[in-house]
Amino acid sequence: MNFETVLFYLFAAVTVFAALRVITARNPLHAVLFLVLAFVSSAGIWMLLEAEFLAIALVLVYVGAVMVLFLFVVMMLDINIEQLRKGFWQWLPLGGLLAALIGVQMVWVLGADEISAGTTAVKHAADYSNTKELGRLIYTDYVYPFEIAAVLLLVAMVAAIALTLRKRRDTKRQDVNKQVKVRREDRVRIVSVPSARQVESVQEAAASNHGHTAD
Amino acid sequence: MDMQTLYLLVPLAPLVGAIAAGLFGKVLGRAWSHRITIALVGVSFAVSVVIFQDVMGGHIFNGSVYKWMSSGSTTFEVGFLIDRLTVMMMLVVTFVSLMVHIYTIGYMEEDPGYQRFFSYISLFTFSMLMLVMANNFMQLFFGWEAVGLVSYLLIGFWYTRPTAIYANLKAFLVNRVGDFGFLLGICLVLMVFGTLDYQSVFANAHNYVNDMAPIPGMSVGLLTAICILLFIGAMGKSAQFPLHVWLPDSMEGPTPISALIHAATMVTAGIFMVARMSPLFELSETALSFVMVIGAITALFMGFLGIIQNDIKRVVAYSTLSQLGYMTVALGASAYSVAVFHLMTHAFFKALLFLAAGSVIIAMHHDQDIRNMGGLRKYMRWTWITSLIGTLALIGTPLFSGFYSKDSIIEAVALSHLPGSGFAYFAVVAGVFVTAFYSFRMYFLVFHGEERFGKDHHDHQGDHADEETSHDHHHGLKPGQKPHETSWVVTLPLILLAIPSMFIGYITIEPMLYGDYFLDSIYIAEGHHAMAELREEFHGAFGMALHALTTLPFWFALAGAVSAWFFYLKRPDIPEAIKQKLSFIYTVLEQKYYFDRFNDWFFAGGARGVSGLLWKFGDVKLIDGFFVNGSAKVVGMFSGVLRGLQTGYVYHYAFWMIIGVSALLTVRTWFE
Amino acid sequence: MNYLASLSPIYAEMFLLVMVCAILIVDLFIVNYTKTVTYLLTQTSLFCTVLILLFTHQPGAAHLFNDMFVHDVMSYVLKVFICLAVMAMLLYSRSYLLVRGLFTGEFLALVMFATLGMMVMTSASNFLTLYLGLELLALSLYAMVALQRDSAIATESAMKYFILGAMASGFLLYGMSMLYGATGSLDINRIADVIQHGTPNKSLLVFGLVFIVAGLAFKLGAVPFHMWVPDVYHGAPTAVTMFIGTAPKLAAFAFVMRILVEALQPLMIHWSGMLMILAVLSMAVGNITAIAQTNLKRMFAYSTIAHMGFLLLGVLSGTIEGYGSAMFYAMVYVLMSLGGFGMIMLLSREGFEADTLNDFKGLNQRSPWLAFMMLLLMFSMAGVPPTVGFYAKFSVLNAALDAGHLTLVVMAVLFSLIGAFYYLRIVKLMYFDAPESHEKIYIQPDSSLLVSLNGMAILLLGIFPNTLMSVCFVSVQQSLLQ
Repeated sequence: MNFETVLFYLFAAVTVFAALRVITARNPLHAVLFLVLAFVSSAGIWMLLEAEFLAIALVLVYVGAVMVLFLFVVMMLDINIEQLRKGFWQWLPLGGLLAALIGVQMVWVLGADEISAGTTAVKHAADYSNTKELGRLIYTDYVYPFEIAAVLLLVAMVAAIALTLRKRRDTKRQDVNKQVKVRREDRVRIVSVPSARQVESVQEAAASNHGHTAD
Repeated sequence: MDMQTLYLLVPLAPLVGAIAAGLFGKVLGRAWSHRITIALVGVSFAVSVVIFQDVMGGHIFNGSVYKWMSSGSTTFEVGFLIDRLTVMMMLVVTFVSLMVHIYTIGYMEEDPGYQRFFSYISLFTFSMLMLVMANNFMQLFFGWEAVGLVSYLLIGFWYTRPTAIYANLKAFLVNRVGDFGFLLGICLVLMVFGTLDYQSVFANAHNYVNDMAPIPGMSVGLLTAICILLFIGAMGKSAQFPLHVWLPDSMEGPTPISALIHAATMVTAGIFMVARMSPLFELSETALSFVMVIGAITALFMGFLGIIQNDIKRVVAYSTLSQLGYMTVALGASAYSVAVFHLMTHAFFKALLFLAAGSVIIAMHHDQDIRNMGGLRKYMRWTWITSLIGTLALIGTPLFSGFYSKDSIIEAVALSHLPGSGFAYFAVVAGVFVTAFYSFRMYFLVFHGEERFGKDHHDHQGDHADEETSHDHHHGLKPGQKPHETSWVVTLPLILLAIPSMFIGYITIEPMLYGDYFLDSIYIAEGHHAMAELREEFHGAFGMALHALTTLPFWFALAGAVSAWFFYLKRPDIPEAIKQKLSFIYTVLEQKYYFDRFNDWFFAGGARGVSGLLWKFGDVKLIDGFFVNGSAKVVGMFSGVLRGLQTGYVYHYAFWMIIGVSALLTVRTWFE
Repeated sequence: MNYLASLSPIYAEMFLLVMVCAILIVDLFIVNYTKTVTYLLTQTSLFCTVLILLFTHQPGAAHLFNDMFVHDVMSYVLKVFICLAVMAMLLYSRSYLLVRGLFTGEFLALVMFATLGMMVMTSASNFLTLYLGLELLALSLYAMVALQRDSAIATESAMKYFILGAMASGFLLYGMSMLYGATGSLDINRIADVIQHGTPNKSLLVFGLVFIVAGLAFKLGAVPFHMWVPDVYHGAPTAVTMFIGTAPKLAAFAFVMRILVEALQPLMIHWSGMLMILAVLSMAVGNITAIAQTNLKRMFAYSTIAHMGFLLLGVLSGTIEGYGSAMFYAMVYVLMSLGGFGMIMLLSREGFEADTLNDFKGLNQRSPWLAFMMLLLMFSMAGVPPTVGFYAKFSVLNAALDAGHLTLVVMAVLFSLIGAFYYLRIVKLMYFDAPESHEKIYIQPDSSLLVSLNGMAILLLGIFPNTLMSVCFVSVQQSLLQ
């Protein structure tokens, strides 16, 4: 057992543990953080496989961007964890039974004959660029699926916009054009108020004013 | 265009017309409806002429144009067999149909169902063409049923009249009886031969001559059973005794369809079918005998009924029955070509007579009683002349077309040696007298003698007790009103039909009967030499006419015509007296030999009784109570349970999916 | 041959993609809420796509992009039909969506994206492209279902569809990864080759197969993976329901063919057993539950489930006849669905959804022609001759019988007899019951023409099924038997 194997088992153990905690943690915030941990340890496993690009992309994209967004969302939402857990114990035996059943079946089917180790990953020289190779493949052999994936992202964008963009008449949005075009007359009205008045008339005015608003 | 496209065009053109007038009639309007349908039937006729020339050039087509479906080893196809028999039928059908289409413009002028009517007659033309052009039993059956359906629609065209509804129901039910036999026959063919294709059935038929039909408890030859079953179908469609009862009643429909369906084309389907099946019928003498006797009965006894009818269309209808009997007799005598020949000449002169009758009816403002007519000769020149031609052709006046065909039938029967041929000979010869008598009775009553129209009507109460159906709507000329000739759309078809009624027999008898016109289409077995003997005696069409002057049928016909003249123009009191004296016979004839009474009482009444019983016990208790409602309850229960599973919770759904996967895994591992 | 010319089999997809982008941009400048320009542009693009397909088609199969894309007769035929079905769907649903304010440029763009996804699916020959095409379709569909944001039921059904769809995708991916593990390739032909000639791990293969079948069953809506169908059909705006219920079924059929037949034909004994269970359950649950429905859209949903059972019956026969008749069934089903949902939309109007059985009461008195068309549709769905539905059922049953599945055929006939009940009930409502409202039915001339064509097609194809049938057979034969 060399050092790499030790590292692999370490990362694998952390990943499994973190994944378990994601679904068992009571606090959703903790669950998200455990998910981050699971991602990071998976990135470690990838690194062991010499897939540096994927490992870094996982950290940068998922840990750095997606999960942060996730955290924001979770913090903004008011999730009642108790309600979500209602019936958990009631359904646990059934679910557990099914899970066990599938587990047994998987073992039964897959354990029937030994799964061969297959081909071992080819070791490359130190100056071998994983990223460059990936780029080459994506733009040559895999250009068609790559393009479709791009379209898929476009669809996601269109869909997201279509679902969230609403032209509501009662929104209080700033209209910069209007703001710039505004003239003094639109906003300021100069009223000349006589400097001296009789007391009665003021009261009268107040009364009539009052009566007017009461209408 | 290759020939196959042309073949397709013939039936499809009227179909397109029918769809156009039927579905888009309102949009098209009356004028365009008739223009389109007439043009398309005209196309169909023109193409038939082209095909006729092609076939005469020796090009016979037999093949499928569309594979409809296949089930196991049996394939059902739409195919055409275009030989001389077919092409002759195509010409007759399209020509008569074209005439009727044109005539309809005048006859149905004021009818609100104008477009519908055109749609129906075009559809009818399509069905009939599919029937005659078929190269397999399936398509034949399709055409057969389609023709039956359209005739049902047409007889009941004036569906607000109870009599019309009664008549079309009757036609439909009687035809069902025939069709049932027909269908059984086809099933038997499919069972024995394993195919429905004419060619292969005919080619293999002789292998089964000695086989017995698979009918338990009866020893009937296989081919005899097939032929008789098929002929039962023909009896229904061609109105042979005892399935003839529907045809006179079907005169409830508008006159153009009486001409088209009940004279010229549809009723000939049975005759055509038997001629087409000649390779089968020739192998069974029993079947041929059966055919001949049935035909003879129809020919004679239906003629008698024509004598006492007073409805102009019914007289013609009974004459149709009797003439169909003649054709059937010819079939039985193995003189298929003669039968088809008579079919053709009859199509022309009978269509002519019907359309002329229709013309008279128009002039009489839809009064159909010949006792209210008389002396119309002066007012309706064209109708009169053409009617006279039709009548002369019908009774078999030498040189007219009907003469050649009818005389040939009589000769052929005389030469036949099958059991029953003696009776048949008597029936057809006696029938000549009867035909001449009733034909001229009608002719004289309508066109000659005293002008009886415009007077107050007789009191028809007596007739109403019977189902004299056409009188109960009060039409007719008002007192003092005179009839006048109908418009050109009516008379033109009359003239165009009168020409072949006169000449077609003279022109075509030689090639059709004694040449080799039907060589490829009709098969005659070795032992049946009626046709061969006829051929030896034949010395040209004119010679035949001269020779006829010395034979019995001619003098019978003359006697019939003269006695009609004597009884109905000279001494109209004599028939009255006879009617009084022989009231028994008269009543029997008036009741049409009590067939309708019997059918109503036995079949309709009996069926009602049995079905009432079945309904009360079998249907209400057993089927409704136990099978239907019981199973419905069970299904309903399950339905409720399954509906309950659809809870609406997404995690339940997900759970079901996981259960599904687990189940599939289990199944897989188990069956490993 | 230069590079661009070598791409000719994929011109149609490329064109469609360019046009979606163009439409997205053009739509920004169109303020008119009827979106006539966008609509016409969409229809024209779809039509031109069909034309391009017709003109660029060459006999034989063309492989492109490292064998990730294949253009053969089956994909050609299906793509043409998919585009036509989408066009018909747009034609049917325009006025329905307009009065509900859903007829937006985004909707049209999503429709086109989904169409693109279906086209990618039908001509994918690699698990990667298959999956991407599927997701392209599914993502667009999720969004379209959710598009009616003010409707709680639509949002709810979109949510269900999305979650369950994601789960099914997970199944599918899991199964695919198993196959990858066993065969070392994602390429369909390579996989077939390895299974046939190599020594892959058998149990791993079968294990993966189970998950793949589960994923496929979800997409088709077969029991027990059908739960989403009634809720989504019911909840989505009818136009979207129509879309889900029509063209994607053709793509799903191609999907099934590519995976099960092209890649995994040697495992037929395994998957046909699984499909058998799914087929019987689908026919049973679909037909029986449909009886209890009062909402027409829900009823159609269950009828879809039952129809998919029939389709599977053809597939599991494992013969060319079976595949051909399944393809025929899929096409016929699309035709009937278009008509059925089209009818609901024709009878709906602003603020009123004609989707309950009661809305069809006495339709004959209000509009005899529409009632007659609906009668044809119902007869066809029930499988009454001479409509095409009969022939579709007949040929599927025939194929199954030839493959020796007598028990299955008997069960199928029994269940479709039960099914006939709820179809004929609608006929009864239309012709023998008194109408509940006497409001005049106003129909756009184009939809009226379309519904007539639809009904007539059902009748005519029933009388002359052979042409379409042989198209199906030829395409299956030439594409699946190399």
